[in-house]
Amino acid sequence: MNQMTAIPAAASPLEMGRFADQNTPLVRNCWYVAGFADEISRDIISRRLLGVDVALYRTLAGEPVAVRNRCPHRSFPLAKGRLEGDVLVCGYHGMQFDPSGRCLAMPSMPIVPTNANVAAFPTAERGPLVWIWMGDPDHADEALIPDTSWLASPEWKSVRGAYHIKSDYVAMHENLLDQTHFPFLHPGTVGTPEFARSKLDVRLEGDVVVIYRALRDAPPPGIYGVPMGLMDKRVDRFSEARYVSPALHTAYASVTDNADASGTPKKYRFNITHLITPETQTSLHYWWFNSRDRKLDDAEADAFLRTASEKAYLEDVDALEWIAQTVAQDAEPQFDLNFAPDKPGLLMRRSIFERAEAEQARGL
Amino acid sequence: MHGQLIDMVVAGVRQLTPRIREYVLASADGSPLPRGAPGAHVELHTHSDLSGPIVRHYSLVGGQGLAEDRADHYRIAVQREDRQRGSAHIHDTFAPGTRLKVSRPRNNFPLDLRDRRSLLIAGGIGITPIYAMLRSVVRRGRPFAFVYAGRTQDHLAYAAEGMELAGAAGRLHVSGDPATDHLDMAALLAAQSDDTTVYVCGPLPMIEAVHTAARTLGWPDARVRSERFTAGPAPDDAPFAVELRRTGRTVEVGRDASILDALTASGIDVLSDCRRGECGLCPLPVLEGGERISHRDSYLSDEERAAGNTLCICVSRLPGGTLVLDA
Repeated sequence: MNQMTAIPAAASPLEMGRFADQNTPLVRNCWYVAGFADEISRDIISRRLLGVDVALYRTLAGEPVAVRNRCPHRSFPLAKGRLEGDVLVCGYHGMQFDPSGRCLAMPSMPIVPTNANVAAFPTAERGPLVWIWMGDPDHADEALIPDTSWLASPEWKSVRGAYHIKSDYVAMHENLLDQTHFPFLHPGTVGTPEFARSKLDVRLEGDVVVIYRALRDAPPPGIYGVPMGLMDKRVDRFSEARYVSPALHTAYASVTDNADASGTPKKYRFNITHLITPETQTSLHYWWFNSRDRKLDDAEADAFLRTASEKAYLEDVDALEWIAQTVAQDAEPQFDLNFAPDKPGLLMRRSIFERAEAEQARGL
Repeated sequence: MHGQLIDMVVAGVRQLTPRIREYVLASADGSPLPRGAPGAHVELHTHSDLSGPIVRHYSLVGGQGLAEDRADHYRIAVQREDRQRGSAHIHDTFAPGTRLKVSRPRNNFPLDLRDRRSLLIAGGIGITPIYAMLRSVVRRGRPFAFVYAGRTQDHLAYAAEGMELAGAAGRLHVSGDPATDHLDMAALLAAQSDDTTVYVCGPLPMIEAVHTAARTLGWPDARVRSERFTAGPAPDDAPFAVELRRTGRTVEVGRDASILDALTASGIDVLSDCRRGECGLCPLPVLEGGERISHRDSYLSDEERAAGNTLCICVSRLPGGTLVLDA
């Protein structure tokens, strides 16, 4: 057989693999969202989180419970069983488990086996969200749950939605940190040509990547201008987006109308909350909230913001799934190019890579 | 089933008290080990020329202070019980470089992460799983109290580290040697908040005292968690022989190993799973010697034990002589 001459690859840090991508082991020691709080009830549901099938339910006292959705005896999915009080009963041989995963009974045996526990995952409810810890349970400190207090505050009004996306969570985070795609993928909602050209400030606060833009005296984007009645005005727009953790991206847009009828400038603030939980290496669960601090009781604003957000996020879902399909199906490898606006995404990918690498070194 | 044993090597030895030594065990090929949650233990398999195969259970300590052990390390603490038995053999022969095997971790004494508040009680060498639990509650910022009792101050392994972790929530109790000033479990439990779950590991009388105090206070059973190795070895265990009449083989069972261990070591394949006398997979029919069996399982009924026609070979044994099995 003829010898083939390999084409040498340029050795940039990116090509050396120090940046997370869909093949990087998932970061496990992190609070992720398991679901909207109102999805978890006395009816057991199952959801795959970080590759593990989890059964989710509530105790009679209302506490969320998450256990592995797999009986330790013959792998029957426990979510197909039933609840007797707080006890989860397997639908195959009737093995019973308490909310901590301890086996309470095995009907076909004369004794209760002490080694037949099912893994339980720490959970914590915060406003409209239930968080879960899929990593080393010993590190599940609830103080590490990131702040999303505006989602439960009476000072704010939120609309929300959820998608399942066939793409990896690194790509999702990169999409959220990349605002230069707005005018092209999202024309008419969040993207305006002026916004794309405004100067971007990128900084790192520990593991948190923050990007900030100030755009003064410009037309507002439709998604905020229409529901707040500002489309005929020029406004100052300040926007920040932050990669908080592998589970969370938050953003805000602050729009100031300097020509408000009251004679004093009026500020409108929107908080956008993106909650991302890997389902597998190549798929994810996504929950979003768009929260505002003005016109809280305006049903038309609710409807507009929901529709406009859904339109923009569906455009992101399409883009991410098309990209994932291209990468998966194209036989010819490609090292993607990077440009200045990709800096925040690269900082995030490096952070996720280093967290994943540290977990692998610890044996998780 | 039982699963494969992991090849390990002693990486470090540290004398903690006059009778307790800590051993850091490393995976022989340096690969990461399966992690054990607080309360988990491993089976340690070694061999002595005097008594043959030795199998002992040791809780995983997990780390030092808040720092956890390397991914390829397990940390155990072994108290020397008496001469020439398993623990004495380990003390006498284990040195850096000694090779041994351990099982994957099992956890029959899990810490419930949902507990609002935990009371962790350790007696003597019972500190080992409690220390791992203490690290977990401190790390997660959960309310707790930690009480550690022993005969003399210098017999308490990890006392300084444990008290430093626990801070104001920790308390040492020295009961004297011989023990005269026992910890007042009734008073201790009565002082706990209603949402406290108790974990206790230590000598059997101490564990029973905690369960008794809880019952007296009218607590539900689930509020006190303990681990009792009732199926474990007894000081007067002796070697005996097992004859497999159909197979035509006789196997010697050392005093520090079970029939199951001895058969497995001799290449005889038998069904088993839990290795603690619960799952009911390993019982074999007995032809001779049944009236002398010391039954230590929790699977067989009283009638089955009295009849002596079967035994759980993972825990039950004979005080000497020969047991003939229909196998």
